[in-house]
Amino acid sequence: MIKKMAKKLFLLEIVKAMGLTFRMMLTRPVTRQYPDEKRPAFPGFRGLHALARREDGTPRCVGCGLCSAVCPSRCIHVYTSEGADHRKIVDGYDIEVLRCVYCGFCVEACPYKAVVLTEHFEYSDYTREALFMNKDKLLSNWDNYMAGAKGEEYHKRFWRPMSEDFKAHDDQAVFRGAKQKELSNAA
Amino acid sequence: MPITNDMKTKNLTISMGPQHPATHGVLKVVLELDGESIVKCTPYVGYLHRGVEKLAESMTYLSALPLTDRLDYIASVCNNVGYCVAVERLFGIEVPERAKFIRTMTCEMARISSHILGVATHALDIGAMTVFLYSFRDRETLLDLFEMLCGARLTVSYPRIGGVRNDVTQEFLDKLYAFTDTFPATIEREYETLLNENRIWKQRTIGVGVITAEEAINWGMTGPNLRGSGVFYDIRKFAPYDAYDKVEFDVPLGKNGDVYDRYLCRMEEMKQSNRIIRQCIEQLPKGAIMAPDAPKFTLPPKDRVLADMESLIHQFVLITKGPIAAPEGELYASTEVPKGELGFYIISDGSGKPYRMRLRSPSFVHVSALPVLCRDAMVADFIANVGTIDIVLGECDR
Ligand code: SF4
Ligand code: SF4
Repeated sequence: MIKKMAKKLFLLEIVKAMGLTFRMMLTRPVTRQYPDEKRPAFPGFRGLHALARREDGTPRCVGCGLCSAVCPSRCIHVYTSEGADHRKIVDGYDIEVLRCVYCGFCVEACPYKAVVLTEHFEYSDYTREALFMNKDKLLSNWDNYMAGAKGEEYHKRFWRPMSEDFKAHDDQAVFRGAKQKELSNAA
Repeated sequence: MPITNDMKTKNLTISMGPQHPATHGVLKVVLELDGESIVKCTPYVGYLHRGVEKLAESMTYLSALPLTDRLDYIASVCNNVGYCVAVERLFGIEVPERAKFIRTMTCEMARISSHILGVATHALDIGAMTVFLYSFRDRETLLDLFEMLCGARLTVSYPRIGGVRNDVTQEFLDKLYAFTDTFPATIEREYETLLNENRIWKQRTIGVGVITAEEAINWGMTGPNLRGSGVFYDIRKFAPYDAYDKVEFDVPLGKNGDVYDRYLCRMEEMKQSNRIIRQCIEQLPKGAIMAPDAPKFTLPPKDRVLADMESLIHQFVLITKGPIAAPEGELYASTEVPKGELGFYIISDGSGKPYRMRLRSPSFVHVSALPVLCRDAMVADFIANVGTIDIVLGECDR
């Protein structure tokens, strides 16, 4: 009873909470000062689109149109025509970036590893035209953000499903027991 | 001025929202006030209507998945899983064990990040700003983990019909386990110190927005809002999906059905979610992450698409027409999302697209119970009540 009254009188819980806030003042801030201090996106971040190139520099896309068929927001447009040797020619490939929902389905639908989502996410602009990606822009996105080993790594991890996803294999991540504990204590 | 009997007063009708910061989105509520007390409260919904149910009818089962992300965007995995569970049950697809554990794990991550944000904004509305600031630190950790897992932070589109998109990495598991080591202590040390005993918080929440167990059931409330009134109902326990029957957890119940009890329920649920995540990581088996026996519903393996004819045909047909082998039938499947019971009612007419997809969204039901919570309340209590039902308008308006 007396204890209760003392608690009430001396605002004990408020004092405790205040103590917490004051202690927090001495800890390191967790806020990132964004434009000055950038955190790199994790691999596989679903950002701006790009059209992949083969090793010889030609675009991989064959114009099959699967990506535009799967796209939930219907923002990919593929224009094709018949070439001299009856092969399909991709005349145009547009993505309306402003309508995209970044689901990554186009990457999964493409059988030729031709379209990817890059880790680049700072592409805001003042006009709609700047955010309407045509084939050339998409190809240069590949050169800028994905070319080389990065693209390969990306396809290895995010171009799914692969046969290995349908069965167990050895290098699947599992709980590592005590070792995990150590790691988490160190972290 | 002496009050005389012939002085006329009349009720004042004001419109709260749709742009009031404390309405958690675009909820409009028309309040009829007699001084400070609420005489009548009428919620108006629909400002965020995007026609998700109708849109789904024109999309294949595969492409409709990202629509469900945008229902409860705070905990999008839970919606994805709800949708996938419904489609899988409808077509009799058996999900591999590993995928089930991964899904359960991510769902609980989403539950923590949803409750943490729910409690924090609720506390902010009532005036406790510190919790709000701290909560974003912990939520950030979870969002980073989501990004590491699948490349998106909020609208993840991570589960797939018959499994999940990609496997978890060892780094992800280690980081998540490290988070679960410290998180319950953080709740106790920080959030509960700031709120549980705080007399201002208690005065604003205890005895406010009371709803009895019977009323809560009659109004169709689910989730922490129902459990705050002491009703033991949790779909994870009653009709387990994914790996919920393989993990142990308690369902916290409140007693009085007021704002404070619902708050306590949410806090305890976060700790239980933490427990579930730990068990999922510890028990995670090796194995497939995609149903191997459902080639007509899941995309064929990419390494085979250009090598064998059948896979190529599957790839093309599945994407352009949807799973055309889908049997006819209809089914209702519900899952426990952070806000309550999310139900999908899907009718399949044998084509690759849902003939009808109906959503039972918890937020919609909870908004309709708002007038009950606001009986005999003051305007200030209204804010507490909107916070406590923890609504997301994306899900309410669909
Ligand atoms: S990420 Fe999704 S919405 Fe965006 S272009 Fe690809 S399929 Fe369409
Ligand atoms: S990007 Fe891929 S899926 Fe899209 S048209 Fe080109 S080859 Fe086909």
